[in-house]
Amino acid sequence: MRSRLVLPLLGSAAAVAVATLLVVALKPIAPTLSLGVLYVLGVLPVAVVWGARWSLPVAVASMLTFNWFFLPPVHTFTLRDTENWSALAAYSVTAIVVSELAARSRRRATDAEQREREAALLAEIAGHLLGGEELEGQLGWIGGRTAQVLGVPEAVIELDAARGRSRGAPTPLEVDGRVVGTISLPAGAQPQTAVQRRFLPALAALLAVAIDRRRLEREALEAEALRRSDLAKTALLRAVSHDLRSPLTSITTAVGALRNEALVFTDADRRELLDTIAVDAERLARLVGDLLDLSRLEAGGAEPERELWSLDELVRDAIDSLGVADRVEVAGGQPLVNVDPVQIQRVIANFVENALRFSPPGAPVHVRLTATRREAIVRVVDHGPGVAEPELERVFEPFYRGADRSGAGLGLAIARGFAAANGGRVWAESRPGQGATFALALPVVEAPVELPA
Amino acid sequence: MSRRILVVDDEPQILRALGTTLRGAGYTVDTAATAESALAAAAAQPPAAVILDLVLPDGRGTDVTRELRTWTDAPVIVLSAIGEEREKIAALDAGADDYVTKPFSVDELLARLRAVLRRLTPEAGPVLEVGGLTIDVAQRLVTRDGERVKLTPHEFDLLRVLAQNRGKLLTHRMLLREVWGPAYGDEAHYLHVYVSHLRAKIERDPSRPRIVLTEPGAGYRLVDADAS
Repeated sequence: MRSRLVLPLLGSAAAVAVATLLVVALKPIAPTLSLGVLYVLGVLPVAVVWGARWSLPVAVASMLTFNWFFLPPVHTFTLRDTENWSALAAYSVTAIVVSELAARSRRRATDAEQREREAALLAEIAGHLLGGEELEGQLGWIGGRTAQVLGVPEAVIELDAARGRSRGAPTPLEVDGRVVGTISLPAGAQPQTAVQRRFLPALAALLAVAIDRRRLEREALEAEALRRSDLAKTALLRAVSHDLRSPLTSITTAVGALRNEALVFTDADRRELLDTIAVDAERLARLVGDLLDLSRLEAGGAEPERELWSLDELVRDAIDSLGVADRVEVAGGQPLVNVDPVQIQRVIANFVENALRFSPPGAPVHVRLTATRREAIVRVVDHGPGVAEPELERVFEPFYRGADRSGAGLGLAIARGFAAANGGRVWAESRPGQGATFALALPVVEAPVELPA
Repeated sequence: MSRRILVVDDEPQILRALGTTLRGAGYTVDTAATAESALAAAAAQPPAAVILDLVLPDGRGTDVTRELRTWTDAPVIVLSAIGEEREKIAALDAGADDYVTKPFSVDELLARLRAVLRRLTPEAGPVLEVGGLTIDVAQRLVTRDGERVKLTPHEFDLLRVLAQNRGKLLTHRMLLREVWGPAYGDEAHYLHVYVSHLRAKIERDPSRPRIVLTEPGAGYRLVDADAS
């Protein structure tokens, strides 16, 4: 604060002193009266550097000094000749005008610099915000740079004024009467009103654009999510209705045929029609059961009833329940897991069924049990055509079907649901042409449990 | 010799049930599960009629119909499902003769099959008799019980096309093209207006048509009220 007074004071004094010395030095070779113009040269730098506040006093002081030291009678402030009077008046006016002009151009220059800084900052902010960067993360540096531009130690910008952790009195940032946020300056900081009036609305407009843009993006994302879930539901409904309709069609056809007395059937035909009804009724029942399981899983209603089991036992039971023990080879350890046995057997059975469906006739399916420190893993390996890389995730989606379109596409989705309900996970590995591996990982029971003796 | 029917569906169970049923009705049955094998089977043993599922693993029933139409007039009955209306219309436009919606009744399917087999060639005689009407195609005259029924030229052409394809489902597009010309096809509302005018003149009770029947969303069909 003191240097802001001391420096101009010293400078002003120096300007007057230097001009005086110059006059002294040049007095022998030039008329004294004409040398008064040298003081104007002293006024000029003061006006340029410190403005009219200092240059005007310097102008007055210069004329008084000139009068005191050089105009007769010297060492008085009085003048003898009218000639001297008019010269001094001319010098004074010149000094004052020059000081004013210089000060004004200085103000213009500062003002232009200030505007340039503001424009540069606004451009930078616009670049960041419109470049798609998250608004919240930008507020810190925007506040800091705004403080610089306003010439205050700090500025805190907040979008949600209600959160209010601001110090000082927050000023609303407004665009067209809409408050987009607040800016808080430290108490006592007094930036120029003109700068505030110019810069803050521009900043508010930028923030408003960024806020609107963010809102629109969010709305677009939500709309997209909604559309996708609608699409998924439509696909699901279509798949369900197709899967229900096919067995229904063969059942109604067979029943209609048997009831039509105009049609002539052999006993074998009749048996075949009855077989069709039985097989497809069972297919319908299984499909409805699977759909119920799936909807229970999606609603989070498949709470597992956990028991301690050796995983290889669950595997063997699952294979036995399918009646395919002769085509499945099991190898590996006996890790302990704490799971719902019915649900996990279902996962394994669905994997094995799937593997058998895609295996060449007669080819065996291998089941391998391994354990890491944290997970027990069941791998069901087939020698079918394999699964292409992009499909590895999708095979677990409901109603996803392989190229042969067999099955309803629910088995793997249900497997994934039951695995997740038991704290496990499933995934598929495959190299096309080399078969596929479907894996189930379950958390192993960490400490061996003491069984009651 | 019994007539040969080609049944095309990718669901083995449906194929089996339909095959047994049709054999029980006295037909000889060929089956195919894909578009490719259907075309091969039809070429090897030309069928009297084809029962064709709209959605096949290697293509659409519409394309099979179009392909068949390049060399045979054997009637095609399309098996469609709810949600496949657009595809069904496309198949009819491509030359299919009729459709049934899954799950269909066996009696209905057999009746449709009999109907399409009956009219293997469109009636092309100079005078058609239908529903108590006499249509003189050459003279462009329609009479009921000897009394002249006055029709505009478009109404007459509409009735003529329907009568020449008696029993067959004609799509909106087919009727518009036949009657108004190839530049038309999407102006179904046009057609509805003309059909209602035509009914007012030829039906005994236009609010309960017995001659020109509406197939909702698909087209119109002329049936012989006296025959059915």
